[in-house]
Amino acid sequence: MKLLRLFGAGFSMSLRRSVAFRVNLLFDVILAFTGLGTTIAAVLIVFTRTDTVGGWSKAEFLVLIGTYELITGLRSAFIDPNLSWFPDNGIRNGKLDSYLLQPAPSLFLASLSLSSPLALIGCALGASVLGWGISAAAEKPSLYGVLSWLLLMGAGLVVTWALSVLLACLAFWAPKLQLDVFYHSAWQLGRYPTDVFARPIRFALTYVFPLALIAAVPSAALLNGAGLAQLTGWLLIALVAAGLAQLAWRAGLRRYTGATS
Amino acid sequence: MRALTLLTFRIRQQVLEWSGAWWFLLTLVVQAVIAPLIGLFIWSAVYPDDPTIARYYVAIILVTLMTESFEQHTFSNRVYDGTLSHELLRPQPVVLGVLGENLAIRGWLTLLGAPIVLVTAFALGTTFAWRSVLLAIPGIALAAVLIFLFTFLLSLTAFWTDRVHSVVGFGSQLGFLLGGTAAPIALLPDGWARVAEVLPFYGMHGLPAEIASGSRYDGSLGYQLGWVVVLVVAVSVVWRAGVRRYTAVGS
Repeated sequence: MKLLRLFGAGFSMSLRRSVAFRVNLLFDVILAFTGLGTTIAAVLIVFTRTDTVGGWSKAEFLVLIGTYELITGLRSAFIDPNLSWFPDNGIRNGKLDSYLLQPAPSLFLASLSLSSPLALIGCALGASVLGWGISAAAEKPSLYGVLSWLLLMGAGLVVTWALSVLLACLAFWAPKLQLDVFYHSAWQLGRYPTDVFARPIRFALTYVFPLALIAAVPSAALLNGAGLAQLTGWLLIALVAAGLAQLAWRAGLRRYTGATS
Repeated sequence: MRALTLLTFRIRQQVLEWSGAWWFLLTLVVQAVIAPLIGLFIWSAVYPDDPTIARYYVAIILVTLMTESFEQHTFSNRVYDGTLSHELLRPQPVVLGVLGENLAIRGWLTLLGAPIVLVTAFALGTTFAWRSVLLAIPGIALAAVLIFLFTFLLSLTAFWTDRVHSVVGFGSQLGFLLGGTAAPIALLPDGWARVAEVLPFYGMHGLPAEIASGSRYDGSLGYQLGWVVVLVVAVSVVWRAGVRRYTAVGS
């Protein structure tokens, strides 16, 4: 409960900070529109030449893009402002020291205390595309499909947070290792169904760097339903990822000697 | 001649500076190749038996690596932190420093990304005709000039706004969609293809890749040169206006 209140207070302060700069707000809105427009246009171009790609129809692709934008918007709003460029901001500049001195869990402060509310524009746009995809789909999602989608979205968010924390934790051992560009580039692969990729990449995106869980798995579950075993499996993966993130953070802190000490 | 000597010094200096950041350069290579790779997989799924798709996208990956530009980071950050003042005080054009760093990074990206291009080409069984590759060299050189000028032009907006990354991001989106990375221009719907062939983005990626992959032989260098002239004029005008507006501590 205390953490939720802290989270709410942080979000409120960030929101007030963001809306103070109206031109920046305008830029962010325009870029969110053009970014999504580019993605959709690229997909629509493909579907002028074919009816399905990797077994996915146009409507299913739109659902996938909508889901991807939703989770990307949440990541950009709540995770990136904290963990982006962590080796620089957290370790080398000593920001982590101030978190360690505060009376709240350091992992929470380092990974979720700041937010960027304007990035939620992406969520709103993603929800619109999701609605477009659902309305264009031949079969409408069942209640079970919607519940599965919600569960898998939650699991996807946990995995997203855990991956970000794990990458940030690498900075405890290799402070010069900056993987943000790599992570954000690889993230783009989540926008497409894993079925279109070659087998080794498909395997990596499912089991090594589970970006399939970000959008492809929830989208498939929304439209076609998901088996109970599949749901349980993905929820377990999310739990394991969150556990690994906590363990890595603790191990990192044990090694950390402080930028200012 | 003096400018060329200064540029050579800058390139050598920047090559050495960036040599310490090879790991970060590798992440930039991944960033550069990911969009063409996605295009390759998507279009290969649509046309699984067409070898020209693989050849085209391998060429696009190479062209992208050789022509990437990061002036929104290298130049615009100097405007934001005020260190552009140091460059303005030197008895040489500021653009030489920007260009030197650009060429050094491109050299590193090409070197580090070459194995990815070779592995992709080998895995897909793609081969290139030497004649086509040689014919593509002037097109690739002009594409590199076009992308530098375009990115530099957009980066100059740092004199007016702190959202230069959004501005350059918007330019990159246009390039991705209309430059031949999202889809080869020939596969765009008719109206789009005609518009894309007139805009500069096609000359930045798609055109040299088409020549290298052997699907087009007339270099259309005039089209690329025309856009180079337009962008040089635009950069000169915006640069002058930007420097007049620039203020920094000590200036």
